[in-house]
Amino acid sequence: MRMLLVEDNDELAETIVDRLRAEGHSVDRERDGNEANELLRHFKFDIILLDVNLPGRNGYEVLRSLRTRADETPVIILTARSEIDDRVIGLDAGADDYMVKPVDFRELSARCRVLARRRAGSASNVFSAGPLCFDRAAKRATINGQDAQMRAREVQLLEILIDNMGRMLTKEEVADRLYTFEEAPSMNAVEQLVTRLRRKLEGSPLVIKTARGLGYMAYVADDD
Amino acid sequence: MTTDRFGHSLQRRLLITMAAGFVILLLLISVLLWTYAREAANRTHDLLLAGAALSILERMSVGPEGATVDLPNSAMDILSLNPLDRVQYRVFVPGQREITGTPDLPLPSDATLSAEPIFYEVDYTDAAFRFVLQGRQLNAPDGRKWVAVQIGQTVESRNAQQWSFFAAGLAGLAGLSLIGLGFVWVAIRTSLAPLRQIASDLGRREPGDLAPVGGTPPREISGLFDAINGFIARLQRSRALTETFIADVAHQTRTSLSALQGHLSLAADAENLDKMRARLIKADRQALRTVRLTNQLLANAMVIHRSDRTSLRPLALKPLVRDTLAESLRDSRMRNVTLSFNGDGIAEGDDIVEGDPLSVREALRNLIENALLHGPRDNTIAITLDADDQNVRLSVEDAGPGIAEADIPKAMERFTSLSEKTKGSGLGLSIVKAVAEGHSADLQLRRSTLGGLDVTLIFRRIIPLLLVLLCTVFSAGATQAQTLTIHSATDTPAMTPLLEAFEARMPGLKIEYTEFQTVDLYRSMLELDRANWPDVVISSAMDLQVDLVNRGLARRISLPSSVSLPAWATWRSELFGFTFEPAVVVYDHRAVSDEELPRSHRDLATFVRENEERFRGRIGSYDIRESGVGYLYSTQDSLQGLQAIRLFEVLGRADLKTYCCTSDMVAATARGDLAFAINVIGSYASDLTEDTSHLRLHFFDDYNLVMSRTAFIPKTARHADLAEQFMAFLLSKEGQRIIAEETPLLPLIPSQVPHSQIERHIRDTRGTFLPIRLTPGLLTFLDALKREEFLTSWDTSLGRHRQRP
Repeated sequence: MRMLLVEDNDELAETIVDRLRAEGHSVDRERDGNEANELLRHFKFDIILLDVNLPGRNGYEVLRSLRTRADETPVIILTARSEIDDRVIGLDAGADDYMVKPVDFRELSARCRVLARRRAGSASNVFSAGPLCFDRAAKRATINGQDAQMRAREVQLLEILIDNMGRMLTKEEVADRLYTFEEAPSMNAVEQLVTRLRRKLEGSPLVIKTARGLGYMAYVADDD
Repeated sequence: MTTDRFGHSLQRRLLITMAAGFVILLLLISVLLWTYAREAANRTHDLLLAGAALSILERMSVGPEGATVDLPNSAMDILSLNPLDRVQYRVFVPGQREITGTPDLPLPSDATLSAEPIFYEVDYTDAAFRFVLQGRQLNAPDGRKWVAVQIGQTVESRNAQQWSFFAAGLAGLAGLSLIGLGFVWVAIRTSLAPLRQIASDLGRREPGDLAPVGGTPPREISGLFDAINGFIARLQRSRALTETFIADVAHQTRTSLSALQGHLSLAADAENLDKMRARLIKADRQALRTVRLTNQLLANAMVIHRSDRTSLRPLALKPLVRDTLAESLRDSRMRNVTLSFNGDGIAEGDDIVEGDPLSVREALRNLIENALLHGPRDNTIAITLDADDQNVRLSVEDAGPGIAEADIPKAMERFTSLSEKTKGSGLGLSIVKAVAEGHSADLQLRRSTLGGLDVTLIFRRIIPLLLVLLCTVFSAGATQAQTLTIHSATDTPAMTPLLEAFEARMPGLKIEYTEFQTVDLYRSMLELDRANWPDVVISSAMDLQVDLVNRGLARRISLPSSVSLPAWATWRSELFGFTFEPAVVVYDHRAVSDEELPRSHRDLATFVRENEERFRGRIGSYDIRESGVGYLYSTQDSLQGLQAIRLFEVLGRADLKTYCCTSDMVAATARGDLAFAINVIGSYASDLTEDTSHLRLHFFDDYNLVMSRTAFIPKTARHADLAEQFMAFLLSKEGQRIIAEETPLLPLIPSQVPHSQIERHIRDTRGTFLPIRLTPGLLTFLDALKREEFLTSWDTSLGRHRQRP
């Protein structure tokens, strides 16, 4: 993956760049907000890691102008401040995730992979994770090349989960996206649908995690 | 930081205490002053009562029918010196019969009649009265006999005087108290000097100087002195504790970092790659622990910093918990953990507590972190939120190893990690504890049904307050047509222009005007049920009106300040005169020439006697038995030294013709039946004579009585507001202008430019006009006995013999 790290601290930047390169990514690094902004005008990246406190313009401003240009590149905010207000600003400004420094490299890699999956899920027509392959255009999922025999609703649910990979979706949110207003689904129906889908995904690394009282989250087991 | 000067000023407090002392003193003195003022007011007013009683007693005599009295005018005049109060009196033979006055006046319960006046206060007809009771022994044919006089006045003037004495006295005392307080202030400032000494000593100190304050304090503030020194000592201890904490933190951090450094050095010096890798893995784990330690130290500092109550605000816990949990699920360490949230037991709005979202979030995150750290990889974490009437409970349970009961207190201490294996920083639970303390929440630790630890935070709920909306109910609907009832002893045509003008001003108002004779009106007011009283009562008989008001029938009103009335034309702010109507002589100048008419009242009797034959049956005047105005003019004449009886006799011999009203007299004179008529109401007469050329008006040079038509509003008036507006209108510039220009009446307040001959005459010879004053003095001739005597002598003089009723 092609990544951009915007970070003014050289030591930290070096370790992150080394780590990510070691994992096989191609990483560019910028130390100045303005320069990063200029660079982003002309080049596309797969993931952007953005520090908040930057010389030039700060991370939020960079992010905001990125989103104003309708650039949907996934962004992870790196911040040294742990107070929630910053996060809200970050997420509101259009960040996909955030991490508080000092970051655990394993966790950072995991989050990057989740974002990459999510992006792959929504950007391209084919999503694949291990033996699982999902063709968005053909509305067909295969495991080890075998058709998973999914019904329309299950395909729909799978698509929703892949688009929101690594993110908690409440049962209500799932129902809202699955059914039209007239269909007025029961929450039970959603649960049953999830159970069926989970069964059909057996043998694939895609896991649908249920947190009772909170909702559902999909992730790819191999990524962690 | 400066101390709140106003909240805790010692000087202020001392001053307030002293002031409170002064106030109590003033209150005590006030009670005495109040009593004294009452006594003084009573003494003054009792003199009036005693004087009046005495003057009545003097006029008591024994007649053929027993004791009787010729009520002296002076008695009422004395009482009228008090311009405010209503009057009641009674003359009687104790235990036998009433002579005159109001028979049901209350007697004192415990005093016996004597020649000395007895004063007492008692309620009578809904008002407080002060009475005098005085007796006198009269020589009667059947021996000496007691007669008694009882006079009462309402106490309004006494109350007013009492207040004024009291206020004056109290003002002086208050002044003295203020001067006293001034001295107290000086004294306080002087004695507080040692405190300022301490203040400046402490103020100059370096922050690090925690030595006790030196010196010997005055005995009174030694307690404070000791407290300050005690506080300094405690501060020193607390600082030591802080230093220990910093040392602990430093120790923890350094130890952690040393371990990290050690692993790294060993890795650098490692003999082979395998050993180096092993070392590096250890270093990596150590780094992770150091990071966690640092994070928790910062969180701990943050929570403690935010624990002052200012960061608390109403906070809905359910969304906060849900968001925090959803966020924690992003962490890849949570992949194998079964996390559940049960918030079903709590409805929206029931989860509101006073809280700081950051701190609560931090507490929850630390609890989950603890469960992750100490529990198995596939731990189960259950978060429950529920509420009862007072509390909201947030529990975090897990299936980890838990904590033994005995270790629970220790678990919440800082830097105490119970598990050697997982090596927590030992800060997690102490952060939760600090959050609980900052929120005045209870923190409970116990064994969970899941097998691990159950940590429950119990927050106080904010019970949503029901807003009670006060609905002000306005009287609905548009102004309905209202009817103002006026009972009046004034010709309807004379009043019509005034009534119409007032109706025009008040849209929707209808005036119901009923005309009465003066005496009938008086009787109807006494006989009518209170509920049927009209809104306004107007009469030309001033004495009868004063009597009605004296009986407490009238309502007190306040007129606009623009209205200013002469003092004689108003009484008690209840009764108001609004016209100026002199008594005149109307004569036929063909029958009697202007030159021969008497110049003064004194000459009148002589003039009539000398021309008895010429004027026989050709002199007219009021039938004073029927006409209130006639009686009023007549009795007032008698007060001016005129020998009324003599005049009656002279007129009687000349066969006086009597009439009910001015118009009849003027008509009779116009027809030539009368040569002249005396005591005719000037205003009407002037109006009536304008068209008849042989009629003229004659004024005396010595005096001309002036009557004023008066109005009052009865207490039970249904439209008192409207009635008050009507009164104000009568006396307003506009009302007076209408009286002058459009009615036969004359205005009380003279017009700038006279509209008629008579107005011009009044303006030019103002000094000869003698207004009848609205005072209780008018009551003298309303006394039943006095009145009967007066009328009897009138009857006798006129040769009309009546049976006494």
